[in-house]
Amino acid sequence: MKTGKILILATVVIIVVIGLLLFSGLLAPATTSVTETKTEIKTTSVYIGTINGAGASFLNPQMQAWASKFYELTKGRISVNYQSIGSGAGQSNFREGLIDFAGSDPPLKKDIYNEFQAKGGIIQFPVIVGTVVVVHNIPNVESEKLKLTGEVVARMYLGEIMYWDDPRIKELNPELNLPHEKIIAVHRSDGSGTTRVFTAYLSKVLEDWKEKVGSDFTVQWPVDQLGNGVGGKGNEGVAAAIKQNQYSIGYVETAYAYQVGLKIALIKNRDEQYVLPTDKSIRSALTALTKILPKAHEDWSSIFPDETVDPPGLDSYPLTSFSFIILKQEYKDPVKVAILKEFFEWVLTEGQKKENIVPGYDPLPPEVAEIGLEGLKLLR
Amino acid sequence: MRSEKIFQILLFFFIFTTLTIVVGIVVSLVTTSSPIFIKYGLDFVFSSVWNPVKESYGILPALLGTLITSTIAISIATPLAISLAVFSSEIIPQRFRSLMNSISDLMASLPSVIYGLWGLYVLAPILHNYLMLPLHNYLGFIPLFSTKPTPTNLFTAGVLLAIMIVPFASSIIREAYTAVPYNLKEAAYSIGMTKWETVRTMLGYIKSAIFAGLFLALGRAMGETMAVAMVVGNILNIPKSLFDMGYTISSLIANQFPNAEAYEYMVPALYGGATILFLIGLVINLVGLYFIKKVMIKG
Repeated sequence: MKTGKILILATVVIIVVIGLLLFSGLLAPATTSVTETKTEIKTTSVYIGTINGAGASFLNPQMQAWASKFYELTKGRISVNYQSIGSGAGQSNFREGLIDFAGSDPPLKKDIYNEFQAKGGIIQFPVIVGTVVVVHNIPNVESEKLKLTGEVVARMYLGEIMYWDDPRIKELNPELNLPHEKIIAVHRSDGSGTTRVFTAYLSKVLEDWKEKVGSDFTVQWPVDQLGNGVGGKGNEGVAAAIKQNQYSIGYVETAYAYQVGLKIALIKNRDEQYVLPTDKSIRSALTALTKILPKAHEDWSSIFPDETVDPPGLDSYPLTSFSFIILKQEYKDPVKVAILKEFFEWVLTEGQKKENIVPGYDPLPPEVAEIGLEGLKLLR
Repeated sequence: MRSEKIFQILLFFFIFTTLTIVVGIVVSLVTTSSPIFIKYGLDFVFSSVWNPVKESYGILPALLGTLITSTIAISIATPLAISLAVFSSEIIPQRFRSLMNSISDLMASLPSVIYGLWGLYVLAPILHNYLMLPLHNYLGFIPLFSTKPTPTNLFTAGVLLAIMIVPFASSIIREAYTAVPYNLKEAAYSIGMTKWETVRTMLGYIKSAIFAGLFLALGRAMGETMAVAMVVGNILNIPKSLFDMGYTISSLIANQFPNAEAYEYMVPALYGGATILFLIGLVINLVGLYFIKKVMIKG
């Protein structure tokens, strides 16, 4: 038993030490301490304090980076805590008043928005751009070669297109030699904002999908009933399922697809062009979207993501989406208001600069960041 | 006298606290899940629709998945756990014994997400290529193996669970085994029993501990969440063979809870699943206790 105790003790000590190191930020992913340029923030206020937020896990790495950069810039005056617990849980904690702000992939649903409106109002605004890609694992087809349309993808997940050599796929890819193999359709098994955006897109491009399935964090995938669907937990679960199942198709956040090296498919946009999520195509989509986005204090539920997917524009990437921050308009503590304002104003201006954006995310164009900056003026 | 009294008060206090917590959990399970049972009644248990968009929920596939994976797990783990216990207390040389035991205990205490990742990236492909595909190709006419397997499915989850619960069950069995009075062993050898016969006698002597260990392990297999969620396939269909992808109640809860608040009935539905899991656990424990008693009286 003695050896056992020593072993266990040693493990515990190691874990505690690692924990402490992480906690104190020594081992934390080098948060741009290299770019120690003189971007000293001009602060008129001298408030000291902490704000707490929680919500979308997609937002988490970027929020942590912003929080630690901001902590550095304010010399420890303001700390921002963000817990990655999921959009739904974040919204619910926010409603119960447990946290100061919520991070969320989709904006508030209509009835919850109305509930807040009755109680002093809220603001919600995009803070970062995220994109979703369609990925596949056909052994003899390279990445960025397979061409698909939203309609064909929808029919795959409906179980109507069952083989890769289906004429409807071949027609789009005359130069590829597609095998007669069953399509395995991989999807998220946990409720997620990624699924919400992806299914909103499928609903928009195919009426059949809208009627039979719809769009939500989790849907009932028709392809599962045929035995050709696979559910993966989280982006990593989907990635593993795609890698392990030849002839599969799936969807993941773009950054993840590149990290793991999944093969990406080109998607036909509304203007009949095949596009990938590049700076140009995202930019084009966002420009088209700026015209339809509401103000921060308005209801977003009818616009995002159902109206924002598949925007017009020759270069526009169809699966472009945002993550949101949700704030109340009224806080009891004036210091909290000042800190929230200071932090999010920084996030929407300096925070969008290249050196403050974590690889895999895309910054907001100034006209979209403006929505949040305008909204923050309502805070009191 | 005084210390005696303090001891008694403390004891009652702790017992009371524990009981309150247990009762509190049961009450909150039942009250939180009541809307789903009021709305759907037994349909919630016997339907296989899980469609949040339409707010309709049924957990039959997950319930079956839980039962199937834990059955696979316990049938694989039983012989392994007993053999490991005997091996580590009877056969292995004395000086390696404590090392072996602490490794096994360490395995029992590894976070399940580590098993999950290992299961997903290592175990699943191995099982798929070297066990499930051959079984399906040659014995596919047996309904159990009739589905063409993908790497993640009910069978993979069952095997992973078995691996996870072996050290746990075996450490309970081992403790009981080493606690058997030495006289018994000496007596066995003295009447000329072989090693195998001695071990059999000893195992007979600790039957109830073996049952207890296995039932606890079964409980753990049923409740296991993260690891299973990673390898079970996460498909809500009624399984037709061992190689079908499926779901378990606890992995369903883990998968769906983060965004459940966004729906009207999903939180009650997930609590409903938890209630059913709790009831199954209760039944298993009662059956276990009954068996243990029966064995004890006989032996």
